[in-house]
Parts: sequence; C-alpha cells; structure tokens
Amino acid sequence: MTHAPDDLGIRIRGLTKTYDGGDPARPALESVDLDVGPRRFVSLIGPSGCGKSTLLRVIAGLEDHDTGEVSLFGSSPRALCAAKGVGLVPQTPALLPWQTVRRNIGLPRRVNRRAGTGGEDPDELLRAVGLSDVAHRYPHELSGGQRQRVAIARAFGLGPRLLLMDEPFSALDEFTREALRLQLLGLWQRRATTVVFVTHSVREAVTLSDEVVVMSARPGRVHEVVRVDLPRPRDAAVVTGPHMHAMEDRVRASLQSAWETGAAPDDLVTL
Amino acid sequence: MSESIHMTATVPLRPAHDRPGPAPAPARPGRRRRDLPRGPLHPATWAPTALVVLVLAAGWSAVAAEHPYILPRLSDVGLALADRPEVFLSNAWSTLSIALVGVACGAGVAFALALVMSEVPVVRRALMPLAVVLNVTPVVALAPGLVVAFGFGMAPKVIVTAIITFFPVLINVTTGLRAVPEPVLHVFQTLHASRAEVLWRLRIPYGLPYTLAALRVTMPLSIVGAVVAEFVAAGSNGGLGTLISTSASAARLDSVYAAIACLATLGVLMLALVSAVERRALFWHESQRTHASRPRRSHPAQRTEEPPR
Repeated sequence: MTHAPDDLGIRIRGLTKTYDGGDPARPALESVDLDVGPRRFVSLIGPSGCGKSTLLRVIAGLEDHDTGEVSLFGSSPRALCAAKGVGLVPQTPALLPWQTVRRNIGLPRRVNRRAGTGGEDPDELLRAVGLSDVAHRYPHELSGGQRQRVAIARAFGLGPRLLLMDEPFSALDEFTREALRLQLLGLWQRRATTVVFVTHSVREAVTLSDEVVVMSARPGRVHEVVRVDLPRPRDAAVVTGPHMHAMEDRVRASLQSAWETGAAPDDLVTL
Repeated sequence: MSESIHMTATVPLRPAHDRPGPAPAPARPGRRRRDLPRGPLHPATWAPTALVVLVLAAGWSAVAAEHPYILPRLSDVGLALADRPEVFLSNAWSTLSIALVGVACGAGVAFALALVMSEVPVVRRALMPLAVVLNVTPVVALAPGLVVAFGFGMAPKVIVTAIITFFPVLINVTTGLRAVPEPVLHVFQTLHASRAEVLWRLRIPYGLPYTLAALRVTMPLSIVGAVVAEFVAAGSNGGLGTLISTSASAARLDSVYAAIACLATLGVLMLALVSAVERRALFWHESQRTHASRPRRSHPAQRTEEPPR
C-alpha cells in the first residue's frame, strides 16, 4: 500500500551515531528504530547520556548520523527544513533580544523567504498564548515563562509539519511548567502538528504524549515505547485522575528498567 | 602604546535572556537606600571625584610654586587657554580630524576584514598572524618611513592612527561575530537560513556589543595615534601634538599643559559619544541594564512571573 506523504510521519531505521573522538564501541545512538505517526505527540525520555537530545538533533538535521535512515514525511531532514517544515523550541528560548515579542514571533516568515513567507498571523498567535499585552516589549522585559511561550508561538508560527522541542520547560518552576503544558496541548490540538518532545519529567511526558519513547544509555537505544491511552483533551480532570498516576507508574517502571540496562558498574549502589 | 592595545580585547557580558533560569526578582520595597541609582548631579556621584581633583590641584600648586620649571601654575595654564583660544581650537580640530579619519579607516577596514575572516577560514588563517605582527610592531617606528613615503601632510598621520585602531577592532569584531548562542543558530538552521541571513540577522547584531566595546577603547586611542603621528611627522597641518612639541622646545610649559588639557577633553568627548551610541543601540544588552533612566525599561514589578492564560 502506498502512503501519501502526510501519512508517513517519522520513520527511523537502524540509526547509529558516534561523536568524533567518542568510543566507537559505545555510540551515542545505536540501531535506533522508531516510527511516529503523523499528528502524534511523542516524548523521548531516558537517563542522562541516553542520546535523546542527539536523536532530536539528528531528526532536525542539525547533526549527521553514521548509518541508518531518517525519513520525515517522505523527505530527508534537511529537505523538510528547506521547505520550512520543521519548528524547533530549544531548552532556552533563543529569542533575538533586540527585537520585540511580535517581531520575534514573525521571524520565521522573514527568514528563508524562498520557501515562502506565509504562516499564522503573529497577532493571532500572541492571543493564543495570552501575550497580546506584551507584544511590543523586548525579551529582557519578560519573565522566563513568558519568554518560553514566545519561543513556542514562534515555532508554531509557520504551521510546521514537525515540531521538535528539547526540554523547553526545564528551566521553569513547577507551577509555570504545569500551566505551559496545558497551553501547549491547547495549541497542538488546534493545529495537529507532529511533535517530538524531549523531557526528563515522567509527569510531563505522560500528560502531553500519545506515546512515550523510553531510551536507555550506553549505548543510546530505544528501550520501550509506552502507549499513553489517556483521553483527550487532557484537561485538569484527566491529568489528576487515577489512570494518569497508573500511567506515570508504568513509565517510571520502564525508565527504571532502562536505567539498569544502561547503568555503568559504578552507578549501581548495593543496598 | 602596544601595552594599551593588548588591553583592548574586551568581552562584553552575554545577554541575560540566554541564560536558563527564572526572571530577575522584582525590586523589594525595603531596598537599602545606598543601593538606589543616583543621577550624575547627586553629590554622592560627583563629590568623591571633586575631592580628589581638589587634592591633586593643591599638590600641583604646591609643586608649581616651588619649581615652576617642572609644573606651570594652573592659573597660567588657564590664561594660556583664555588668551589664545583660537590657536588651541584650530589645533584641536586638526588633531581631531586626523583621529576621526584614522579611526574611520582603521575600524572600517578591520570590520570588513573580520566579516571576511568569519566567513572564510583560510583568510583568517592567512591574515591573523600578520595582524598580530602589525599589532606588536611599535607604530612610532613606522612613522618616519611613512613620512618619507607620503610626505608631511595628513596621509602618514592618518595611516599611523588607522594602524593603532585597527587591531582592537579586528580582534573584538572577530570574537563578537562568533558570539551567537548555539540555540539561536539551531533555530536558524532548522529554518534553512542562508549564510548571508545568519551573518546579517545574527552575527552582526550579536557582534555589536563587541564592536562598540572596541570603539570605546579605540576612539580615545585614535587621539593618542594622532598625537604620536604629529610628534614624529610635524608638518603644515599643525595639531595639538605639534603645538606641544614646539611649546616644549620654547619652554612654554603653560601652553604644553593647556594643549594636554585639550587632548584630555577630546578623549572624554569621544568616550561620551561612544557611550551615548551604546546606550541607544544596546538597550537590550545586559551591559546597559544598570542605567536607571532608560526609557524602554519597564517597571520591575511588571517582570514578575505571570501564569499563562
């Protein structure tokens, strides 16, 4: 059966990546296979050094891989980037400090005009993330949470087919994180973009995702893909319900198993 | 002179927004009085400096009264300025024009070269060692040769000033063009931005604090360059350096120190000019955040964490 490009999603087969100067026997990523369906929200979670951020950068076309195949909607990562099909939200907001919030959100429309200058109206996005009243302020005049909301709005601005988020809420306090998770879900549900989200937080992964990809370290591998069968929309009632806690326990157990798989002898403590 | 050039690799502070972490805490009502920002007219701002100036002036006057052949009386210096203001003004303009043309040439060439070096590594590898050699070569030693080649006109003085200002700008701009935070570069890479877009939209703006830091050093340094050139190649253009040479040979210490006062004033004015440009162009940069009177700054209370709606 042939698929239309939109039905393909992300397809990764046999991906191996070793950093220059790294131990060839312990690649950063080894034989990674992963399928992400279109319009799915997938989180990558795992212990430090498991290669989740490396995998995200390979998907974004920011790093080359040694062997294997990465296909994004039937294209290579660089081809999808060239068509402005990829939005990136890094760990820090990465806003241009000399431009106003509104100009920052409109930035993707002004860069790489060859691939088009369309996209969502910046004012509409500002309203969607509740930042209309700070549209003409500069990033240094905003709080950390507001800056990260601008970064998310900027990434959604072009209506990308794939949104890559690398621990975007890790520098925020728990209260702000919780609020931003729900806001991100609201934005995503209305736009139906495929999202790959890197996080260290089990709760965050379960709250947001359709699937949680648990990775193990040394070398970085996919340990297990846990399907999150919580109903959507994930409102406050869902994320505080008993099924949510059961899913968190399920992911936590998988994470423990992944950690033991990849733990170095020095990491193990005899009780 | 080369020592002062070595001190110019100024690295400005990184913008605070690139650091992960919560926003700065709002101002507390119980803030201590001595922490409050004060204007330039507040006695606490100018009184300490005024006191030091008075002490120095008293010491100067004591030496001048005993040994007038070592230091002139301050009143004589003032009289020299008041008696012949047109002489000092015309010579100051001559020196200033050499300094400005020299710094425009030196900084302009250095900026253009830094752009090329940031984009073409082989050019950097080829030219940077030569630039370092030029920096460590005493420029005073070059001046006589330049006079032979270009005569006693403006050209050799402009070249000397340009050489003195060239290296600090080259080093700082080269560093600044590489100061783009990696996450910002990654965002641009995923947008498939061209090299020209990365240069124009990221590297040059992020390099601006470094460029202005270089100018903060080289603008006053250009006055030094112009005076050195005038010492070595005194010619028909005059200038405060030439005035100092001729006055010193005639034992007119009052004119010597009056010319030095003019040079100091020129240096301060140039520094003030760069500071004004910095305040306007770098309103977003952490180095400018301490200015209490910036119009664009919001009230600290508006920067508190606010949950998304």
